[in-house]
Amino acid sequence: MRIFVFFLSVLLFNQAWSQRILLLHGTAHIGNGQVQESAAVGIVNDRIAFVKNSLTQNFAPEDWDTIINCDGQHIYPSFVSANNTLGLTEIDAVRATRDFKDVGDWNPHVRSQIAFNVESKVVETVRTNGVLLVQATPRGGWISGSSAVMKLSGWNWEDATVLADDGIHLNWPSYSKEYATQQSAIIDFFELAAAYASNRKNQNTDQRMEAMVPCFNGQKRVYIHAQTVRQINDVISFKEKLGLKHVVIVGGEEAYLVGPKLKDSKIPVMLGRVHSLPAHEDDLTFLPYQIPALLKAQGIMFCLQNEGDMQPMNTRNLPFQAGTTMAYGLSEEEALQSISLSVCQIMGIDKLYGSLEAGKKATFFVSKGPALDMRTNQLTQIYVDGIPISTTNFQEELYLKYQQKYRSQAKTN
Amino acid sequence: MKAPLMLFLLFVLSWTASFAQFGPDNGTKPSEPRYILIENATIMVKPGQTLQNASMLIEDGKIVKIGNRIQQTGALTYDYTGLVLVPAFIELYSNIGLEPLNYKSNGWRPQMESNKEGAYYWNEAVHPELASADAYKLNETQLSQLQQSGFGFALTHYTDGIVRGSGAMVALGSSNIHKQIIEPRAAQAYSFSKGGSHQSYPSSQMGSIALLRQALYDLKYYSANQNTLPYSASLSTWATLQQSPSIFKIEDKWEILRAQKIAREFNTEFIYIGAGNEYAISDELHKVQTKVVLPLTFPEAYDVNDPYLAKEIPLSELKHWELAPSNPKLLNEAGLEIGFTTFGLKNADAFWTALRKVIARGLAPQEAMAALTTTPAKWVGQEQQMGTLEVGKLASFSVFSADPFQYEAQLLATWNLGEERSFKAYNSHQILGSYTLHLPNKDYELIITGSNEKPQAKVLSITGADTLKINAVVTMTASDISIQFLHKGAGGQLVQLHGKLIKNGMLIEGDGTDENGTWIHWSAIQHQTTPQTPLVSIKEDTTQYGQIWYPNMAFGFQSKPSAQTTLFKNATVWTNEKEGILKGADVLVVDGKIKQVSRQNLTAPSGATIIDATGLHLTSGIIDEHSHIAISKGVNEGGQAISAEVSIADVVNPDDIDIYRQLAGGVTAAQLLHGSANPIGGQSALIKLKWGVTADELLISNAPKFIKCALGENVKQANWGDFNTVRFPQTRMGVEQVFYDGFYRAKAYDAEWAAYKSGKSSTAPRVDLELEVLSQILHSERYITCHSYVQSEINMLMHVADSMGFKINTFTHILEGYKVADKMQKHGVAGSTFSDWWAYKFEVNDAIPYNAALMTNQGITVCINSDDAEMGRRLNQEAAKTIKYGGLTEEQAWKLVTLNPAKVLHLDNRMGSIKAGKDADLVLWTTNPLSIEAKVKLTMIEGTVYYDEQQQIEKLQPLIAKERTRILTLMLAANQKGEGSKLPQKKVKKHYHCDTLGEEATASENTH
Repeated sequence: MRIFVFFLSVLLFNQAWSQRILLLHGTAHIGNGQVQESAAVGIVNDRIAFVKNSLTQNFAPEDWDTIINCDGQHIYPSFVSANNTLGLTEIDAVRATRDFKDVGDWNPHVRSQIAFNVESKVVETVRTNGVLLVQATPRGGWISGSSAVMKLSGWNWEDATVLADDGIHLNWPSYSKEYATQQSAIIDFFELAAAYASNRKNQNTDQRMEAMVPCFNGQKRVYIHAQTVRQINDVISFKEKLGLKHVVIVGGEEAYLVGPKLKDSKIPVMLGRVHSLPAHEDDLTFLPYQIPALLKAQGIMFCLQNEGDMQPMNTRNLPFQAGTTMAYGLSEEEALQSISLSVCQIMGIDKLYGSLEAGKKATFFVSKGPALDMRTNQLTQIYVDGIPISTTNFQEELYLKYQQKYRSQAKTN
Repeated sequence: MKAPLMLFLLFVLSWTASFAQFGPDNGTKPSEPRYILIENATIMVKPGQTLQNASMLIEDGKIVKIGNRIQQTGALTYDYTGLVLVPAFIELYSNIGLEPLNYKSNGWRPQMESNKEGAYYWNEAVHPELASADAYKLNETQLSQLQQSGFGFALTHYTDGIVRGSGAMVALGSSNIHKQIIEPRAAQAYSFSKGGSHQSYPSSQMGSIALLRQALYDLKYYSANQNTLPYSASLSTWATLQQSPSIFKIEDKWEILRAQKIAREFNTEFIYIGAGNEYAISDELHKVQTKVVLPLTFPEAYDVNDPYLAKEIPLSELKHWELAPSNPKLLNEAGLEIGFTTFGLKNADAFWTALRKVIARGLAPQEAMAALTTTPAKWVGQEQQMGTLEVGKLASFSVFSADPFQYEAQLLATWNLGEERSFKAYNSHQILGSYTLHLPNKDYELIITGSNEKPQAKVLSITGADTLKINAVVTMTASDISIQFLHKGAGGQLVQLHGKLIKNGMLIEGDGTDENGTWIHWSAIQHQTTPQTPLVSIKEDTTQYGQIWYPNMAFGFQSKPSAQTTLFKNATVWTNEKEGILKGADVLVVDGKIKQVSRQNLTAPSGATIIDATGLHLTSGIIDEHSHIAISKGVNEGGQAISAEVSIADVVNPDDIDIYRQLAGGVTAAQLLHGSANPIGGQSALIKLKWGVTADELLISNAPKFIKCALGENVKQANWGDFNTVRFPQTRMGVEQVFYDGFYRAKAYDAEWAAYKSGKSSTAPRVDLELEVLSQILHSERYITCHSYVQSEINMLMHVADSMGFKINTFTHILEGYKVADKMQKHGVAGSTFSDWWAYKFEVNDAIPYNAALMTNQGITVCINSDDAEMGRRLNQEAAKTIKYGGLTEEQAWKLVTLNPAKVLHLDNRMGSIKAGKDADLVLWTTNPLSIEAKVKLTMIEGTVYYDEQQQIEKLQPLIAKERTRILTLMLAANQKGEGSKLPQKKVKKHYHCDTLGEEATASENTH
């Protein structure tokens, strides 16, 4: 409680605060595959100062504002949810709350960042399971728009932003009779944009083209949503043809069949929802659970994401999707990596986020037990850029309220 | 043959004229022959009986004599030397000569009531009053196609709707409609397809089934009370058809078994018009002795030249493509009587190609013939008139160049009621051969090759020293031949000859002009004959085709599995009983039941399978209280606010891959629920997830009865678009009144029947299937599972039930159950909920994942269910979430998906725990089933192993790959022969959700 009051005071009164927090004796899951048993995690202001072995170091209590004993608990870097409409929609069935899909086929200039609702009720239920960062992603058309990496805590979208306009999202056409035509239309669009980019000073400002320009100098990623072997092969050619620096496959249902080529092309994969039914009737029943291990075995850079039915609310199950892969070939730390460091590497924010390493932002949480198992994913502390966040949400409040109702009824009876 | 080129040789026969055409003739009465005599023919009298060199005497359109030496003075005589006569085929599924039906539409607004004016049945898909005989018109194109396929009779009817009306047996002669209708009400027709009607109801196959049953009950009631009831144009006509045979069009093999139940209920019999995949359940069809008319439309080969696309074709489709042409043979072998229909075939060539394929696949020629003649004649009670060429039968037959069941014969002509129609010139003269062509001044050698229809000729001068072979143009019509060539070849003068064949082509004589233009007389004498192109036999197809799997798709069994005596050794056993979790325990399974659970070492009976479960966890199977998998053609009958009469149990689909997938997730039983499109939905199917069995074998025997009800946004159509504002109710207020209305009507119905049964009233009331079911609820003979979200509506329904004197059994979804758990506990209702779903619509704003725990703590029996094919296979994980959200113990959590659903479904005397005497529905897990790392190793139902992880990986996966390659090889070979232009497409597996409307599943988001 003492800690909490301190945190509150930080939140309420001091924006440019200074703090030193030391977490002792927890098991730190670094996010890069390493584990530090009995860890000492030092937080100074918004950064991780160090992660060390608490048994081999001495810490002077007076050096720290707060020392928290995490004995028996587990410390994790933030889980990161890529390719998600979280914050852009509230209730799927209510049109008024759907802010992720605009009119038009070519919308690179449509930006998710500014529609991101930091006060979304869904967001608080996601946070309490360890997901603290999201890539808010628009949908629809051939180019849906530009996504942004957002913190799941902030006063407004400006201070919640980690990386604005991190990439555009291109929906690669599915195979049909029009496939070749559609593919050419995409290439034409990119060539048009490349021409604009090479000579933008002499042209009237074209906001659509402006949004494309950073794609050619590597500042912005090109996220290409593609599933099948054919699509993925064509995406690889597309990358080469246009000389794009950062291309990411989103979905990649059949990426495991394109292994070596994908690896050579250095295109990472944001793999679709693990909790899915197999795409084909003839597939092994557990194929979607196994694909991460198949990619891992082939040395393909990948992370998990959660696109699909009811994805905003389902984001809180991202840790359990990662956990499910553990029975099908990934180790616990590899599973963790696929929803933490790997995601940040693929999005290009790994210098600041993704793992419990010195110098990175203190965006992490503490759980009573292993956080990839639903029985033990029970968060006791959450920090976003060093700021402690409530570990409860309105749902838990309703729970407590009605628990109280029944308790008082029991008393009166 | 008198005039082979004339397409229509018309003899208006006296008997028909005197019966049907009462009007006067213009001019003198038409002349006609008294007798027609066909001589020297091969007559295929009936399957298994052929007369060689035989004659047939026809009088008045009927066969009066048949035999070897028939003489009849004054007969018009036909010499059919070398030709084969086959009885006219009988088509039982046709809409020839009928215009498509027109239905009035309301445009985009739902149509609740019939738009048909008049005293007709309330539902437009039921139109027994339609008499095809009254609307039949001659349609030359359709007639000609059927005739060229060898058909002489067709049962024509409106191939639209559920009760389709009467079918007329028509003869396919094309000259005079007054002779054609042999039997105006030869049959009545049915189907499960609503057809062109725009009326909202029915919108699903279970709705069609219920509607058909209700209509049949209405027919009974009407027939019994015709004197007192108001006239119904539909029912009164239908009543007159009750002695007519019934044909029933189905779209899938399982529909036969569905319709068969109706046949039993109403003590009738259906002749099925098949779908083409019946072979996969031939043994089941044999058990019920069904009559099936088989289609000859086989699936087209895909173009599989692109391996990326070929990958998208599921094995189920590959296997069906391979075996569909063997359908007739396989059914015949299984002991079923079969017929054939040309329905769906493009033209006569397609018919003959398909029929030959069927014969090549091994259907005996005699059986093929029977399927087209005697069998259909017998089925529709027309065997006195048609089906064979015997004395007294109608003189309708086809003339072939050879036995069409053995050879690739040509159909040359048909006879319909003694009236000939010629399709191909037949020439009995044998003109192929070498001739000495004698012109006054010169002799040539004339060599005719090719065929009678397309002769090719050369001439060679043999008088001079000239040895030039000159091409000649030869044309032949009947016995006339013309020969033209250039004397001395190119640049020479034209020689034009015309002649007549004499003595079957041995001699040709005629006249013409020679190269000088001089009129000459000429002759040619045959000195060598070349036989006609030899007959091509239908060759037996010796390809080794694949086996039928159960089900006939990926992961199907090669032979049906059976229960084994099994001993699990040294397992961690989650008993769900007071013993709790037993470590190092043995479980013995005998005869599909759990025989013994013990921590002592049990000895395996002889022959038992022993499974070393050291380090593994054994649990009872997961039971999913809320599932929509394994359902055919519609999960909602949303056409009306109350549809209690429909039942999911009528439309269970055993071929759904999701059954196997759920097994792989440890699920052994499920309640397949109607959707939530209306307040009182339909009856449930309680099934065990047995793989490779029939729908009836999936259903849990003697299961308690359940019905789905629903509240909230779905039933008030809140999220269905602005045009869906027609159906009552549109508010939660209206929903309450729908329930009261239903139950008050049910009470009145009960009273009416009670009065009848006690003798107070003498006439039996009308059977109302909807009210029967509502009455079962009132009498607590059927339990309600109600889809519900917010507390107001939950409260409301408990009040309705209390005031009517029954209990709600289960609230499903029940996402605000935690708010009214005290009231629920008092009412005694169970809650079956999601672990953590919310935010998909407005009414789930207050849904919390602590719901299950809060309700559990208030003493409610709680289940975690799936309502989703994907989540259904990891309900163990969903149950484990209640440990996180609300702090249930592991044993409590596990019961949420096993024992509690068994209790809620009133099946806990048979399942839900590991206890001696219960069904051996067991799952072997790699570790604690609530762990994120848990995996199913084996799933057993009633002692039979239906899923085995190791089998899947080591045996089935390679087998599937091999089977795919084998069939794709055949398909590629077919591609190279020019078959298959259809490109495969990626198919997204579609699912039924609570709010899926219509017969088609969707790939859209699940919004529950």
